[in-house]
Amino acid sequence: MIDVQHLSRRFGDVVALDDASFQVQPGEIVALLGPNGAGKTTASRIIGGILAPSDGDVLVDGLSVRTDADRVRARCGFVTDQPSLYERMPLRVYLGFFARLYDVRDPDARAVALAKLLGLDDVLDKRLGAFSRGMRQKVAIARALVHDPPVLLLDEPATALDPEMAQTLRAFIVSLRARHRAILLTTHDLDEAQRIADRVVVLFRGRVARIGGTQELRSGGRPSFRVSFAGGADAALAALAPLALGATVLPPENGLSTVRFETDDPANINPRALRALLDANVRVITVAAEERTLEDAYMAILAEARG
Amino acid sequence: MKWWLIAWREIRWEVFLDRASLLRTAIFVLVPMLLIFSNRSIGPGGAGDIAIIGLALQSVLFPSLGGVALIAATFTAEKENGTIVPLLAAPIRDFDIVLGKLVGMVIPVMVSCAVTLTAAYVLAGFRYGAERVAHVLTPELLFALLVLSLLYVVTTGSIAMIVAARVRSSRAAQQIAGLVIALSIALFATLGFVASQVAGGWPLLALGLVLLAFDVAALEVARRVWQRGEVIGRI
Repeated sequence: MIDVQHLSRRFGDVVALDDASFQVQPGEIVALLGPNGAGKTTASRIIGGILAPSDGDVLVDGLSVRTDADRVRARCGFVTDQPSLYERMPLRVYLGFFARLYDVRDPDARAVALAKLLGLDDVLDKRLGAFSRGMRQKVAIARALVHDPPVLLLDEPATALDPEMAQTLRAFIVSLRARHRAILLTTHDLDEAQRIADRVVVLFRGRVARIGGTQELRSGGRPSFRVSFAGGADAALAALAPLALGATVLPPENGLSTVRFETDDPANINPRALRALLDANVRVITVAAEERTLEDAYMAILAEARG
Repeated sequence: MKWWLIAWREIRWEVFLDRASLLRTAIFVLVPMLLIFSNRSIGPGGAGDIAIIGLALQSVLFPSLGGVALIAATFTAEKENGTIVPLLAAPIRDFDIVLGKLVGMVIPVMVSCAVTLTAAYVLAGFRYGAERVAHVLTPELLFALLVLSLLYVVTTGSIAMIVAARVRSSRAAQQIAGLVIALSIALFATLGFVASQVAGGWPLLALGLVLLAFDVAALEVARRVWQRGEVIGRI
């Protein structure tokens, strides 16, 4: 549905995107991650047909942004971090205006239907200037959906929303995935990406540093384990020292001491570690595998990209 | 006809509901009225007739000047607020956005020009005699003045939009509009002097041709220069 092919974009001497390639399939949410200036927004704007690429191409629904930008725009819904609404217009008129720009049949009925879908039907005739931040963002989403696009480009859509509203928004985005939309979610919120993205594209200095499934990236890296026990940590460290695991002490939790270690061979090492601890009379309570968050994986990818 | 959707939105929801622009327009409409009230020294004969034509010219010039500021301010305000982004993301040609914005500003300005010219005509009739004013300000001349003001607004509006698309703030746009207005005043003052030296409608015709040429050139430049990438890159 979205096929980014060797995409590059330069602004004068500045290279914003450098030979980036990735795909987003229908019914898939792909999170576009990266530090500030990595080229996320530039990529999003090029895919949406707002900005022309310097090199490479993007196919949206089989249409090239180079030769069919107008038709590409007609297939994309675009949401930015700022709702950017015409404050003097009532919601009904505003959505009707954009529905007409997108050649929607029966634009007034579409405006009402979208307002209902997003729970805004009781404020249809209220001016947008009087809306709260959360309501504004809902309006921006309604605007992006006005022509029922197969592709959605969401650029930091949950910025500045309260947690409850952000959760509602996430649920709505997931419901759009169920309706076979191809969704590219540009975000700095790694927790949000971990919750809803199927795959992740990490950009660094305009280049694709890593592409992978969210679970796949989280499960990458060295497996790590935590051992919780009663008593002081010195005896535990001394017991583990012969195994050369590089164990470290973590702050105590619930009155229990904890040490953490990494190993590539848990099937062999973990029983030996446990035996060593028990032999040293360390009162072990739990041994648990650490679950790597997307943030851990992301930081590791960036560290690797920085060399 | 998507440009007309944009134009009508500007007229209905921005110009008519923007108190600042209404106040500014009202001032530009009232100034020519005050000039007619305060001008007592128009004597009989050709010089007096030229002065009446000059007053009529001012009554379309002043609202037109207000229009230039309006166009520059509106466009940069859209960039500052980010409201231009959803427009750029829509399946509309770049030129339709330019045309829609321009027409959305030109129509209210032309309405205020027509209102001011009509009011000036009626007031001048009371002040200098209806028969004389009707003799000097013929329907052809009044029409020519409105056409001139239209050409002027389209030309300067196009220039203001081209530049406004490339600057980042309303303040910069207002400075540009101020520069265009100052240059326009100098141009019109020169033309007024020429008109007072040359009998007949030739100065008006010459001005019309010059503005028409500028119109075509400015719109062509706007079509070529005004591109989504340029605008989005400056937001």
